[in-house]
Amino acid sequence: MVGRYLLVFFLGAIAIVMASPLILTVFSSLKPTTELANPPWYPPFDVTFEHYFRVWTEGKFNRYFLNTVIISTVDAIVMIGIASLAAYALVFMKYPGKALIQALFLVGLMIPVTAIILPLYSIVRSVGLVNTHLGVIFSDLALAVSVFVFMFSSYFASVPKALHEAAKIDGATEFQIYWRVVMPIAKPAVVTTALLEFLWSWNDLLLRLLLLPSDKMRTLSVGLLNFQGIMTRDVTGLSSGTVIIALPVVLLFLVFQRHFVRGMTQGAVK
Amino acid sequence: MFLDPDSKLAQRLNPVLFLLPAVAIYILFAIYPTISVVEYSFTDWDGINPNRNYIGLENYERLFSDKIFWEAFRNTFVWSAVIIVINVGLGLVIASMLARVWKARLIIQTAIVLPVVISPMAVATIWRWMYQPKGAVNQVLEVIGLGAFKTPWLGSPDAVLYALAVAHSWSTMGLSVIIFLAGLQAVDEHLYEAAKIDGASPLQSFRFVTLPALRPVTAVVFILTLTQSFKVFDIVWATTQGGPIRFSEILSTYMYKRGALENDYGYGAAIGVALLVIVSLATIVYMQLQNRQES
Repeated sequence: MVGRYLLVFFLGAIAIVMASPLILTVFSSLKPTTELANPPWYPPFDVTFEHYFRVWTEGKFNRYFLNTVIISTVDAIVMIGIASLAAYALVFMKYPGKALIQALFLVGLMIPVTAIILPLYSIVRSVGLVNTHLGVIFSDLALAVSVFVFMFSSYFASVPKALHEAAKIDGATEFQIYWRVVMPIAKPAVVTTALLEFLWSWNDLLLRLLLLPSDKMRTLSVGLLNFQGIMTRDVTGLSSGTVIIALPVVLLFLVFQRHFVRGMTQGAVK
Repeated sequence: MFLDPDSKLAQRLNPVLFLLPAVAIYILFAIYPTISVVEYSFTDWDGINPNRNYIGLENYERLFSDKIFWEAFRNTFVWSAVIIVINVGLGLVIASMLARVWKARLIIQTAIVLPVVISPMAVATIWRWMYQPKGAVNQVLEVIGLGAFKTPWLGSPDAVLYALAVAHSWSTMGLSVIIFLAGLQAVDEHLYEAAKIDGASPLQSFRFVTLPALRPVTAVVFILTLTQSFKVFDIVWATTQGGPIRFSEILSTYMYKRGALENDYGYGAAIGVALLVIVSLATIVYMQLQNRQES
């Protein structure tokens, strides 16, 4: 019995250590400047939201936020479409070269974005998409599509082949079968894809740093990096900026924790 | 459409239509740059000038004699080793403890996994602030009587790499804990009961039941952590950019500096290829292990 209490105590201590960087950041974002001399673990006594307003308008985080929402949302929706269509063709259709295409997607699981960032930039530039959201979106989709093609494939593989055959005999086209029969069964994969692609897109820095040089197009990650470079000592502003970039995904995580946990283990290679 | 869906042509066309969007984007923005990075690594291109010359293996020869490259390589290894010790070692201990707790499990697990979803840029900002000379880490050390260990973490040549690795582990360990927990669910409860009947202490049942049963999962987490830590760029770039001097320079930051900032594009590409080879090999091993575990 003593052992059990010790266990909970130890785990509780770890949970506090893990949570404290976030809690301290939230504290510091809500403190008036007069309370900054207090130790960081002092909660704010006179809570103020002025730093959020300041960062949001003067720091142009409103713009960055909008850009990030646009890119991440488009990424998530388009990813569901292209990955599930490709997976459908890999699981239910017969045609020459199928094994080759499967192998091609497999390669995508092994390519680290970091290693190919230089030529990727050249290609995006040569098709005229530097400084556009579209350039980032295409790159995001290309670099993660393999993960989701395989995720959908494994769901589709569990659909009884007889169901597919029966729909075909009833005269349904392949697209009708995809849309009305197969996709409804793969709902969990749709949710996981949406959440995971949204999260990856929301959080990425490197691609956006290179592909979106102009301030107008920046996402939150680049905006925060830039803000940090200029306002090095603005602790409250930096904390507010951090909370602004973290809060949406934290809320998503708390609501969809089970989906996230499953998705992150499946998509771990990325 | 004007095409009869039952016609031979439609049957042939279907796979193309279904595959085209994904394959086209994928080939243009993932496969093509991967081939290009190899090609560029054999050139002296500066990234701007329209002409480039093929110079054979010259960039790779430079790589082998470049002291900074080897420093970055060594740093990347040290960095990965620290992260592996924390994510695999501590991750395993925490997961096996979590598996034996019911009441507070969800809240504790949430606190441990939550940092995983937070943007590396936010992680960098948080820890840059915590690691300041008068930041939270040093203040805590002072309060708990370990003031002797106070140091300007990110400005110290000896501490910077380890400090950043800890910050990175803070934001990634949750993933290992999740994977270990999934592995633990598959361990036969009877083994624990049998061990208990045989009079095994909790520590002994961890050593003789949990560890052997989790060996395949541990291998998976190990290689996953290795690949992930080799790819890292964001958190180092957003805190120290490889500094002070080059004490936290890793392969990705060095590649970015040479290739993107110093217009030494061909050479940067060669560093990229080195990274590509290491990560791909590790990922192949990872996928093999995972397949074996699933079957």
